[in-house]
Amino acid sequence: MSIDVENNNGVCRVVVKDEMTIYTAAAMKTDLMDQLTRCDELEISLQDVSEMDSAGLQLMLLLKSEEQKLKKELRFVKHSQAVIDVLEILDLVAHFGDPIVLPAGEAQ
Amino acid sequence: MAKTILVVDDSMSIRQVVSIALKGAGYDVIEACDGKDALAKMTGQKIHLIISDVNMPNMDGITFLKQVKASPKYKFTPVIMLTTEAGRDKMAEGKAAGAKAWVVKPFQPPQMLDAVAKLVLP
Amino acid sequence: MVDDMKLTFLQESEELLQQMEDALLAMEEAPDDEEHLNSVFRAMHTIKGAAGIFGYDFIVSFTHPVETVMDQVRSGNRSVDSDLVALLLECKDHTANLVQTVASDNEDNVPAELLENGCEILARLTGEGSENNSVKGATPSVAGASSPIEAEPQKATPNDNWVIALDFKQDALRNGLDPLSFIRYLQRLGEIVNIITFTHDMPAANEMDPETCYLSFRIALHSDSNKDEIESVFEFAVDDCDIRILPPHSKQITYLELLEDVEPESVQRLGDILVGIGAVTQQELEGALNEQEAIIDEAVANPEQKVKPLGEILVERNVVAKPVVEKALKKQEDNREKASRDAQYIRVDANRLGQLINLVGELVISNAAVKLMVDKYEIQEAQEVVAGVDNLVEDIRDHALQLRMVQIGDTFSRFRRVVRDVSKELNKDIKLVITGGEAELDKTVVEKINDPLTHLVRNSLDHGIESPEERLAKGKPAQGVLRLNALHDSGHIVIQIADDGAGLNVEKIRAKAEAIGLVKPDQVLSHRETLRLIFEPGLSTKTQASNLSGRGVGMDVVRRNIDALRGTVEVDSSVDKGTVVTIHLPLTLAIIDGFMVGVSGERYVIPLSMVEECVEIDNHQLDEQRSYVNLRGDVMPFLRLREFFDVPDDEVGDHSDRRESLVVVRFGRTKAGLVVDQLFGELQTVIKPLGKLFQGLKGISGATVLGSGDIALILDVQGVIGLASQRGGHKQGLVDHA
Repeated sequence: MSIDVENNNGVCRVVVKDEMTIYTAAAMKTDLMDQLTRCDELEISLQDVSEMDSAGLQLMLLLKSEEQKLKKELRFVKHSQAVIDVLEILDLVAHFGDPIVLPAGEAQ
Repeated sequence: MAKTILVVDDSMSIRQVVSIALKGAGYDVIEACDGKDALAKMTGQKIHLIISDVNMPNMDGITFLKQVKASPKYKFTPVIMLTTEAGRDKMAEGKAAGAKAWVVKPFQPPQMLDAVAKLVLP
Repeated sequence: MVDDMKLTFLQESEELLQQMEDALLAMEEAPDDEEHLNSVFRAMHTIKGAAGIFGYDFIVSFTHPVETVMDQVRSGNRSVDSDLVALLLECKDHTANLVQTVASDNEDNVPAELLENGCEILARLTGEGSENNSVKGATPSVAGASSPIEAEPQKATPNDNWVIALDFKQDALRNGLDPLSFIRYLQRLGEIVNIITFTHDMPAANEMDPETCYLSFRIALHSDSNKDEIESVFEFAVDDCDIRILPPHSKQITYLELLEDVEPESVQRLGDILVGIGAVTQQELEGALNEQEAIIDEAVANPEQKVKPLGEILVERNVVAKPVVEKALKKQEDNREKASRDAQYIRVDANRLGQLINLVGELVISNAAVKLMVDKYEIQEAQEVVAGVDNLVEDIRDHALQLRMVQIGDTFSRFRRVVRDVSKELNKDIKLVITGGEAELDKTVVEKINDPLTHLVRNSLDHGIESPEERLAKGKPAQGVLRLNALHDSGHIVIQIADDGAGLNVEKIRAKAEAIGLVKPDQVLSHRETLRLIFEPGLSTKTQASNLSGRGVGMDVVRRNIDALRGTVEVDSSVDKGTVVTIHLPLTLAIIDGFMVGVSGERYVIPLSMVEECVEIDNHQLDEQRSYVNLRGDVMPFLRLREFFDVPDDEVGDHSDRRESLVVVRFGRTKAGLVVDQLFGELQTVIKPLGKLFQGLKGISGATVLGSGDIALILDVQGVIGLASQRGGHKQGLVDHA
């Protein structure tokens, strides 16, 4: 399993433990969609995402759009540098609307 | 995290030139001297890009490419083929087998880095 | 702005605005629902981004402050009440109005009152002065470490950006491409001022395949690079992505200026002009030419089809803006006019021209010899010089051949009179439509095509197109149409003679062919094969021959003439719809694509178009007695070139088990085999006519000098086959008698 799950009163905290790339996308999609349908509130920690490519990004976009369709609450938190890089280059930070914490030392 | 590139060529000098250029640009490099050697060295670690010669002893580039595309762990890895001007007819074959890019020998290291960077940034 | 990108923007905006309205209305019920807030925010954010990419500043300056306000609401710094919702609805309507100005092509001329209205709304929304509307958003800074990152640098003027549209195909990721890599790389060329990500085709979650690519991007790039450099970023993605690159406005002006400076000395082709000024890359040009080629192929099958001009294709493909193409065309026209105004024609003796071309041929050959020698002795210093000379010689050759090129239009026009006279004589009403008259081909070919063409035209007039009464009875217009069309197709010229007449009666052709013993009653022939029979000697479908096209003896002559020009002729016809005769001809007779074979030390060239296949054979496969060879059940006469030309054998000993090759040649419907020692492959050769003394020779049509200085004879395949079958028949006859 590429994710750690912790369930707490309908609030589900997931820590992605692997890269989010085309190699992991298939399995990760199943796992994360499972979690999203199962709980009302889902928090996905991205601090351990060492690498992210377009397939990983698509997955984030999918979850975000499903959030609205399924009337759930979804938050991405603790973005790793790899994730921040992707969201920044595509100017998608605002799209996700999640607060991003800059790693210490790099904050403006 | 540095990206890993597998360089497959039977010529040691070409391997060295490529690998020095790639390391200088911030990539990690694994070297192999032919297709067989390369497959033996692909042991499940993450490889972001493969640069492979076409004409090699033991296992040629096209066969190697087909094997890569058939392996679940590496099937999505982009492959740059090295070819000589004369080997142009191999291009169609390589393309069909899944090669994404071609660099024609002889090449200058910046040329190679340029091609690599379009597929995988360091 | 190019229309379909604009359309995407309009559709997208419309959808987003609708979502915004829905969300706002829902907010009246549930003001704190975060999802609705997000929806409104996203609508403004995305429209702003897209407008920025396209350079619609007036939309950016309105939507940006609204987005900022929404951000405040989202972060809880401003509360939602019914007033705000009402105001936001006004904002939505106003944005829709702004988008509307784009839809009606008024983006360069936005009504002042609309802009004032916008300022007024913004003033109420932000509670600030209206002059603030162009100020970049004062994003509230939230204390603490969780300040949102707004990565939207808009330093450059939006109008001066390259707009790049990337629509990745579904297999892009599986093929090892990561769209992100290209975008990252793009940053090396300049600054990505704005980027929008679309996932248009992403299906619902259960159908979404995470390995399929659903991504599209619209990017505004501020860069000093040229189009080639930008295109090269995506060179590895061409198969997996639709790429469109639109130059910035300023570049457009640059292109137009560059066009002004295009030297009027030579009339260039449109594509070359556009590539020359950098408005179109070579790759884009090739793509467009390929498309045009496909259209031409269709046009060959269907003469009614209009061949789209290159400029139109380029504009449709969003490769280049219309004004640039128009200007380029005008420039081309101007240059052409100027060229023809300035042109001073010199009458040149055709023989002198022929001599020049012969000399150029010699030059090509000598040059090849020099090249061979330089390669052989590895004279490094000379190699560059030789390469330079090589290019020059090639240019000279092309230009020399160009000298003899004439437009086919004049030949076509001559038929106007013929059509007029014949129509009168036969009491028919026939219109002649000529297209493609500007297609050029070698004068020697034009001269030789005149006779067959006359024959075909007369055939159509006489046998093809019916009398007005017959036509009316068939429900066709009384006036018949005869079309003459010419077009270039990969080194060949295609000439079509099409009528909308009665068409050929396949049954009658078949019956006649059986009657004269051309086909056996049990032989199965396709429609096309039966039609082809009309080119056989002795076939006439009309029992009553007129004095115009005779008894049908002409069609076989037509084919012989065209074969002699190394061309082909095809006929297609359907009853009461009409007949199309299509002729393919090489552009010139001076150069052929040949196939070289060898017998001992001698070399022979066979015109490549006549070579069917080459097979290696053993001696015992040949029936030496009867000179027939059985190739996979196909029996054909064969001829040993060694015997035919009496080439002395340079090998000693028994050669019954010598390996030989059989080259199967085809001429019309006849096939024959030529037995040779060696196959050398394809080559382009300059034909040198034989001297007067040898002109009567059967089996040889010319000679060529090879790079090595050796002479190779060019085989006259028709003659050789004739001789081979005669000889075979003769031997056979002897055997039968014995």
